[in-house]
Amino acid sequence: MDDYQTCPKCKTTKYRNPAMILMVNACGHALCESCVELLFAKGSGACPECKCPLRRNNFRIQLFEDPAVDKEVDIRKRILKEFNKRQEDFPTLREYNDYLEEVETIIFNLVFDIDPTNTNKMIDNYKKENKDITQKNRNRQSQEEMELEELLEAEKNQQCEKANLYVNAELEEKKQKHKAREKLIDELMFSDADAKSIVASHVQATAALAKEQPKAAVQAGSGVVKSSKFSSGIQIGLRGQHTNSFLPIPKQEDLPLYRYTAPIFDYDGPPPPSIEMLGKLNYFANIRAANITERAGGYTEAMSCCRALQEAMGGLFYSPQSTHKTAVLATISSTQDTDDMETT
Amino acid sequence: MKLNVDGLLVYFPYDYIYPEQFSYMLELKRALDAKGHCLLEMPSGTGKTTTLLSLIVAYMKAHPLELTKLVYCSRTVPEIEKVMEELRKLMNYYEKEMGMEQNILGLALSSRKNLCIHPSVSKEREGKVVDGRCYSLTASFVRARHAADDAIPICDFYEGFDAHGKEFPLPPGVYNLDDLKEYGQLKGWCPYFLARYTITHANIVVYSYHYLLDPKIAEVVSKEITKTSVVVFDEAHNIDNVCIDSMSVKITKRLLDKCSNSIQILETTISNMKESDSKRLEKEYKRLVEGLRDANIARETDMALVNPVLPSEILEEAVPGTIRTAEHFVAFLKRVVEYIKTRLRVQHVVQESPAGFLRDIHTKVCIDRKPLRFTAERLASLIRTLEISDLTDFSPLVTVSHFATLVSTYTKGFTIIIEPFEDRAPTVSNPILYFSCLDSSIAIKPVFNRFQTVVITSGTLSPLDMYPKILDFHPVIMTSFTMTLARPCILPMIVSKGNDQVAMSSRYETREDTAVIRNYGNLLVEIAAAVPDGIVCFFTSYLYLETIVSSWYDQGIIDQLQRHKLLFIETQDAAETSLALINYIKACDNGRGAVLLSVARGKVSEGIDFDHHLGRAVLMFGIPYVYTQSRILRARLEYLRDQFQIRENDFLTFDAMRHAAQCLGRCMRGKTDYGIMVLADKRFSRADKRSKLPKWIQEHLKDTNCNLSTEECVQTCKRWLRQMAQPFSREDQLGISLLTLEQLQSEEMQKKIQQRAQGV
Repeated sequence: MDDYQTCPKCKTTKYRNPAMILMVNACGHALCESCVELLFAKGSGACPECKCPLRRNNFRIQLFEDPAVDKEVDIRKRILKEFNKRQEDFPTLREYNDYLEEVETIIFNLVFDIDPTNTNKMIDNYKKENKDITQKNRNRQSQEEMELEELLEAEKNQQCEKANLYVNAELEEKKQKHKAREKLIDELMFSDADAKSIVASHVQATAALAKEQPKAAVQAGSGVVKSSKFSSGIQIGLRGQHTNSFLPIPKQEDLPLYRYTAPIFDYDGPPPPSIEMLGKLNYFANIRAANITERAGGYTEAMSCCRALQEAMGGLFYSPQSTHKTAVLATISSTQDTDDMETT
Repeated sequence: MKLNVDGLLVYFPYDYIYPEQFSYMLELKRALDAKGHCLLEMPSGTGKTTTLLSLIVAYMKAHPLELTKLVYCSRTVPEIEKVMEELRKLMNYYEKEMGMEQNILGLALSSRKNLCIHPSVSKEREGKVVDGRCYSLTASFVRARHAADDAIPICDFYEGFDAHGKEFPLPPGVYNLDDLKEYGQLKGWCPYFLARYTITHANIVVYSYHYLLDPKIAEVVSKEITKTSVVVFDEAHNIDNVCIDSMSVKITKRLLDKCSNSIQILETTISNMKESDSKRLEKEYKRLVEGLRDANIARETDMALVNPVLPSEILEEAVPGTIRTAEHFVAFLKRVVEYIKTRLRVQHVVQESPAGFLRDIHTKVCIDRKPLRFTAERLASLIRTLEISDLTDFSPLVTVSHFATLVSTYTKGFTIIIEPFEDRAPTVSNPILYFSCLDSSIAIKPVFNRFQTVVITSGTLSPLDMYPKILDFHPVIMTSFTMTLARPCILPMIVSKGNDQVAMSSRYETREDTAVIRNYGNLLVEIAAAVPDGIVCFFTSYLYLETIVSSWYDQGIIDQLQRHKLLFIETQDAAETSLALINYIKACDNGRGAVLLSVARGKVSEGIDFDHHLGRAVLMFGIPYVYTQSRILRARLEYLRDQFQIRENDFLTFDAMRHAAQCLGRCMRGKTDYGIMVLADKRFSRADKRSKLPKWIQEHLKDTNCNLSTEECVQTCKRWLRQMAQPFSREDQLGISLLTLEQLQSEEMQKKIQQRAQGV
């Protein structure tokens, strides 16, 4: 604080007595510590400037240069304990702003002692009306405060992580350089190869390392940058609980790729003729020919014919005792279509 | 000369062209075609300005719909004038060739201080005073009062402009600052407002960086420039610092004391007004309740106080209820100021993030973030309502309001540092609060987003890949051009040791070493004996310069030096320095020869040219690193490392080398010029430093010249100077570094140019 601060009662200045501490009470007039002790020896008394009654244990150290601000902040803190509605409690911004202004007016009136009876009435009214909201809001942080807290938290985390990471990276680099140099000296001392070639290969190796290093550093750095926000402004984590959060997409496990294998059917009968053979063996004579519209869809009479034959012969040698099942790989190439039809 | 640049007809106002100018045009045209941003480095003295202008004007003529405007940003008023001169030459050439008046309007814009023609206001020396007085004569309420009462003074020139100026646009042509003033005198119009009004439809606008980069000014001046413009930042090697400065705030104890005074003035004015004219306050209050913006009612002259926040960040919301009425707002300001005062009372250095600051101000004085964000705007509105015409007293309060708005708007990329005293004088209490921007990309981002092409160019931009990183943009073209020379007219050398083989270095550990200081002195003395005319020396800091000069006195080096040349020293005082400069030039002109000792990053190292005999040799004593203990720098390095993965050392070296290159470039100002560049520090020969020099210097830095002693250096100088002293005429240059149209069109040359363009 500055040298020209003076106690209004004993006229001591900070310059003459550097240990002087100014104190203020509810009325917003300053007094130095020794004056307070002298005047308020009994525990209570009147302010020497405005004569308003004060208690000694209400004196606090003056924080601001202007004692009036100390007083105002005091009142403000007291009032804001009661008047703690949030923007969320109002339907429109306009109403919230009106409320804020009202609070401000109350504080202003209290500070400058304008119309105290009415103001106090207003406060009492408000207290009665909004008891539960006040109580509720006391335990709730406002959205703004929450945002700030999160920012601070994120900053702290980032700092910790980064400090560690970069220190380690730098140490590592130094170590590597040192190692490389020792290696070179060792080689020069003990190896039989040409000194020039050793130096050349060493230079190459370090150049390659140097190229890699920045990349590694970049990766290390980018690994750390853990933003708390997407570029679109949507928060990651925490905040999701307050706004309607998106359900996270469940993580899919990495399974091996699907591969088709032809199904194997229990087939006890003799092998039916293949589709190509049907025409030659003249099976179609017993079947209605497919019309044009059916053919357009890819249907041929061979299909139904083949299927009928398969069904007819499938159970021919069926014996419930035999555990042996003849797996018929019924001419896969030709009957593929029919297999599909059966499964669907 | 009429050129064909990749299918575009370009009028070039000179008979000869340098090959690199042609390559430059090729690259620039590609960037314009691609509608992307580009980064171009070309050595100083090779005619960047005229190349840029002639190509862009030709492009505007060929594609009038795709490219409508050129915004050319330069640093200082003399540089702006130079650009206007080049532009005038170009337009004259167009007229001569095409035989008719050109329909292109180009004008320069500067502050009121440089453009005012009001008989008494223009006499003021200080920019802020001129602004304030202009405001007091032209603000809309003053003019309204004048209408009622003739005794209240107004500015006749502004009235003239307001009455007629807007109907008659400026006729096409090229207007520099003096032309604008002359035109204003002739018509009786205010040149400043005329220029600002004309910006919207001029084809070419030349002004300072700040009109685009500083959000406080950009919002007012450059708001209506269309997207189809090309923006050129010339001499842009320091652009990141300009960006950072435009968003940073510094608050001292004295400033806060002045704030308290201004708050008192506000208080009394409000109470006076309440008695006499409460209607106006009510009107303002109503407007704020409705949440109406000022923008739609504010007049051009009223925009004296503006928002420091970038346009995209400004909230489209009503002013919060806590600061709606005037008294509440003043009490609010008082609390903010008192709070900052308590913060300044710290005993040790404090560094915190904006978020931490916001939380603390909330717990200590119950100020929320939202009203804080509106501080700047609310203050501007209040001052307007109160009709305070003398604004100069309010600048401290405005600074604080800017701080409040910025700190509550940006939580990232900024830091707050409170230092109770300076590092050099720890016993003297001098608390300062720095609100420092760490991210240069914040201020320039809107520029990149808004305009289709942004050209960043300078003589020294190496290493090129650093700029896209720190400015956070993706250039389509990034090229460095070298200088084609008919003879080796620059001689860069790295002197690493003295004659006694003691290594020379300005490293912290050895800088006090008398051997090093003596070696530096001997080097200078021997070079002074060998080199004719002017020699410029650069030191790393004022402090270092002073200690070295005082030891040179003791060692008798100054006496030896003065036997050969006169000695001049740059000081921190601008007037003293300019006097030294004038005498230095005089001494060089009359053949006596002189040595100028100056400081890298000082006034001499930026913007003052030592062409021809004024600078035959440049000596760089030590590597000009920034003061690395500065906390602001530390914070910025940390931020760069975390956000852009730039390592601290990389950035420090980059920054040191660009300043070294700037200093070295002082002596080369054209192709007929020649100069010696001595880098006197062992560390310069390391690959990481050497590779960061611009290409055009690196090319001439031979391996044999990288580790010289004083003696060897002087020998090389003598040989080289003898070679340079031979007569040198234009004919020697023709065909190699200077081309006629025919030579340019010859197949061989075209092939070379193509190669050059691809090779880089």
